[in-house]
Amino acid sequence: MKTKHTARNITVALFLLIAFFILFIPTTVLAVDDENCLMCHKYAGLGRYAKSEEQKAIKRIFYVNEELFKASYHGKLRCKSCHNGVEEIPHTDVTNVDCATDCHLNDPSTGRDFSHKPIVDDLKKSAHGEDGAKSENIEDLPKCKDCHSNKPYQISVDKDLKSMQFIKVCNECHESEEWTNRFYKHMFYRAQTRRPSKQVVALCSKCHADKEKMERHDLEVVVGFKDTFHGKAIVYGDEDVANCLNCHASYQMGFSPHRITSHTESSSPVHPNNKLENCSQAGCHANAQEAFAKKGKVHPSNVVVERVDEGGITISEEEQEFQRWVLDMIALFYKILIIAVVGGLGFHRLADLYATHRERKIALRAAKLGRHSS
Amino acid sequence: MSHGKNERMFVRLTKSQRIQHVILFVSTGLLILTGFMLMGERWVIDMFGSAGNEIFYWRGIVHRIAGVAVTLVCLYHLGYVVVQEEGRSWIKDMLPRLSDATHASQNVSYMLGFREARPKMERFTYIEKVEYFSVYFGMFIVIVTGTMMWTEQYWPKFWLDVADAFHLGEATLAALAIIIGHIFSVHYNPHVYPMNKAFIDGKISESMMKEEHGLWYERELERLAAEEAEAASEGNNNA
Repeated sequence: MKTKHTARNITVALFLLIAFFILFIPTTVLAVDDENCLMCHKYAGLGRYAKSEEQKAIKRIFYVNEELFKASYHGKLRCKSCHNGVEEIPHTDVTNVDCATDCHLNDPSTGRDFSHKPIVDDLKKSAHGEDGAKSENIEDLPKCKDCHSNKPYQISVDKDLKSMQFIKVCNECHESEEWTNRFYKHMFYRAQTRRPSKQVVALCSKCHADKEKMERHDLEVVVGFKDTFHGKAIVYGDEDVANCLNCHASYQMGFSPHRITSHTESSSPVHPNNKLENCSQAGCHANAQEAFAKKGKVHPSNVVVERVDEGGITISEEEQEFQRWVLDMIALFYKILIIAVVGGLGFHRLADLYATHRERKIALRAAKLGRHSS
Repeated sequence: MSHGKNERMFVRLTKSQRIQHVILFVSTGLLILTGFMLMGERWVIDMFGSAGNEIFYWRGIVHRIAGVAVTLVCLYHLGYVVVQEEGRSWIKDMLPRLSDATHASQNVSYMLGFREARPKMERFTYIEKVEYFSVYFGMFIVIVTGTMMWTEQYWPKFWLDVADAFHLGEATLAALAIIIGHIFSVHYNPHVYPMNKAFIDGKISESMMKEEHGLWYERELERLAAEEAEAASEGNNNA
């Protein structure tokens, strides 16, 4: 009888325990994750090996860190807003993420579902898109994810007194502190920082400094930028000098990186006709003259590229070659001069040391003789 | 070489010349430092870390201030060698002569051990003359190209590239020539180690003067003797 009693007690206790777990522990998870994706995806080991397009083994990780995801730009979205399909387990029905889908998030500016579609359309028409690119190798063209990832906001509200006060004011009317926090971060992340120049250069260089890739597309390899004044200033962390985008897709001239075009298009900010306006943007070379903007290359490269454009060619191939020849000659002149001068001075110095050494020996001998004779 | 402690000293550099020299070497040092900061490889620049931006800003400011200082001292010196008595005697002694070539070949053969003694040289040796006029040549190039790059928006981009190439080439040449030719042979020299104090007190010892500027030494002795004689005769007249 007693054992039966105990068994029932244990069952009840277990039941209570399970109920406790279901009721209390997962509440935080359930609050955002009403699709219950994290039930599996919260496990750090979740992943598999797959084959890349080049038949190389790659590790694919399906782990989602809830805390990081919540702090990210897309932290408010449901998983299925971007990951279409995902009705079956295992997820064989899943399609690639398409940033142009409507993400069922209300856009407060229009009241409609929000979507990145306008940007995706712009990109398609740009030099980087299927429609705008001159090259046939469209598989090389950058996709959204090649430049953008879903990072956490790099803005710390809790450590900054001004931010804290600002949000307190928001919270006077708006009820959800989490929402005001996110909204504040969204606004001020945009207001305070754009991508630092160092990152922009690194991002563009990923493709545009890749010789093979550029050859495939008949494009100029960008190698000289890092040695320019702009390039060096950026390495020091100066955000006031031009990075790739400030000239090739300047916001001041109505461009955006998504609408970037080839320098041969008459609409491009780096097209000969627009260069002067481009260089003399507010905060840059305010009084730039025509010749400053046109005659010469901003970042020299090793290859002479045929420049075909509608508005006339600023620097012809011969001119480019002549310019490079002049600069090479100056460098050669100084190399020879430096070798001659340094060699000459070095020789003179060594000869003088040799003479001093002899003089010392003679002086020593004289001193010895002097001692002996005395 | 040994120097007697109570050796007779001669004037090598006047106060004005020493001040010009200090301005020249302080600003040139700053210019070399702040200029070559632009040539650093990425890993070197990365060592500045988050202070990089601030350092870069001050690099530009210091380079411009030092550039202006060096330009002013050069212009002053041009006036100095034309207008002032002291300057005129300086440039007169500095002008290259045929004897410089003779001294050069004689001195080199002495240093290599083919001659018994050093040639007796003038107030400025051939190597000092070369150094001095190199500064004219170099300063002309860096000041012109530097001014062009400071007013970059008025020049064609290609001219700026040419200016940049000259500025860098000349700066490299000057920096190396200063280190090897000037610091090593004028200052880091067993005769005067650790440095030639003439740039501070403007004085040269009799023994060094005899050895390095034999002809000038004789000239100075004559001049001083003549002055003394004049003073003596004046004294006699007064008496």
